[in-house]
Amino acid sequence: MAETAVSCEGVSVRFTTERGTVTALDRIDLTIPRGSFLTLLGPSGCGKSTLLRVMADLIAPSGGRVAVFGGTPSSARLKREIGFVFQDPALLPWRTVLDNVTLPLEVGGGKALPGARTPQQLLELVGLNGWETAYPHELSGGMRQRVAIARALVSGPRLLLMDEPFGALDEITRDRLNEELLQVWSSTGTTIVFVTHSIYEAAFLGQQVLLLAARPGRVRELVPVTLPMPRHLGQRETPEFTALAGHLRRVLETC
Amino acid sequence: MADAFAADAEGEARFRQRRRYLAWRRRLLPIVAVVALLYAWSESIELFDIKPFIAPSPQAVAAVLYDRFGILMANLLPTAIESILGFALGNLAAVVVATVFVWRKTVEEAMFPVAVMINSIPVVAKAPILVLLLGNGMEPKIAVAAIICFFPTLVNMTRGLRDVRPEQLELMRILSARQSEVFLRIRVPNALPYLFSALKIAASTAVIGAIVGEWIGSTQGIGALILQATFNFDSPLLYATIVVGSVFSALFFGVISLVERRMLRWHTAHKE
Ligand SMILES: Nc1ncnc2c1ncn2[C@@H]1O[C@H](COP(=O)(O)OP(=O)(O)OP(=O)(O)O)[C@@H](O)[C@H]1O
Ligand SMILES: [Mg+2]
Repeated sequence: MAETAVSCEGVSVRFTTERGTVTALDRIDLTIPRGSFLTLLGPSGCGKSTLLRVMADLIAPSGGRVAVFGGTPSSARLKREIGFVFQDPALLPWRTVLDNVTLPLEVGGGKALPGARTPQQLLELVGLNGWETAYPHELSGGMRQRVAIARALVSGPRLLLMDEPFGALDEITRDRLNEELLQVWSSTGTTIVFVTHSIYEAAFLGQQVLLLAARPGRVRELVPVTLPMPRHLGQRETPEFTALAGHLRRVLETC
Repeated sequence: MADAFAADAEGEARFRQRRRYLAWRRRLLPIVAVVALLYAWSESIELFDIKPFIAPSPQAVAAVLYDRFGILMANLLPTAIESILGFALGNLAAVVVATVFVWRKTVEEAMFPVAVMINSIPVVAKAPILVLLLGNGMEPKIAVAAIICFFPTLVNMTRGLRDVRPEQLELMRILSARQSEVFLRIRVPNALPYLFSALKIAASTAVIGAIVGEWIGSTQGIGALILQATFNFDSPLLYATIVVGSVFSALFFGVISLVERRMLRWHTAHKE
């Protein structure tokens, strides 16, 4: 197997509030190979976001060990190896599209990793050239999300964590962005971990689909996707795809 | 993507025409209202036969504005200086204190109740205290104007610096941003709309503060002229003085709004 991007060994996360302690993740074991595309699927509240946030060093696990590119998540973050796309694009409304994309180059020591594309190239990649000087409020939801993706890629991260980035979009836009994302992935070689609620999105994008069960959040099944690469939307009509989606649905119903 | 900008000359012309129409409407409607009010005022003076020392006619006020323009302006100057300086000092202090509050919550917890207490003393009560402390020159008037501006700006600015969307903070953490970078690139721009709301209030209240300050021991300024005209039953002069004060206050407000519009293009643009 290729080198490892992320490995989790017995990772648990517990939150303590007035209402008691919630076990969001319970002893997760997981290995994500470098350059792979993993999708995370599971019922609401099963800990998908929490797992991404542990990898991104936004929260520390209550137990177990997480390694990102062989080091701690925090060292990976400091080396700017991690890009994160939130469910809400989280653009800064006072900055233009271009200035939003270049933000990662201005703060926290600010340099891009070797091989990173320029902001201009990234805007072209996500189909937003010509919009550099627009403000976020002038863009549609899908365009904002594409700006957020360009911003996450500008430092040339080796691990891209995406938390339901297309959740709020209509099917057609979502399909197009899915194809664009696969193109970005194949042209950058970035490792992607992608959270979604959509069975079809999970099956279409991932090389592997990780199913999480809720309360407590546990690994239910790791399903390999055998559809050939490069993917195209037509593949969703094949019997293979239908069988895979059916399988995912059946497992999900028991989570 | 080029097709997103496809030339639609007709649509653009309609858009511009509508914008022109709205702009003129916005300018003309208040003028119509003011003219109507002046007319109603002038008519009621005649209708109810109101004596000039009780309330003057608009014509009499206009005559004073014209004949005694020099005196009015000579009295506006100190008031303008006091309110502008007070505005600058009071707001600057509020911004600095808000920054400290956000930087160390403990300071806010200790000091905010004190600020509330000082704020709850009426201006007319603060003014004599400040005259005793600072003497009879411009200083106590500047101080009253500054104090009156301070509180609304402090509250708004603290809120603006603090009410940052959590995703934006998480984004900055992923980018390993330093505290100072979070402050300058997230908190400060986030606070600007709040700050300008407060500054627009302060533009009017600073003038009120300076005038109230002048009521306590002063021989010049809009405040002093108001007292003088009242004691002499010179109601046309009283009204003319008030008009001058209000016009100055409105201009002050207008300048702040203009600066706001230029600095917050990203914010005001989508409200219109
Ligand atoms: N900051 C927090 N404080 C307390 N509990 C939390 C916190 N964050 C998450 N949780 C709890 O942890 C569990 C998992 O949350 P998480 O956000 O990871 O779920 P999710 O799988 O992303 O759900 P969704 O699909 O709805 O986004 C939930 O039960 C939630 O209540
Ligand atoms: Mg979530």
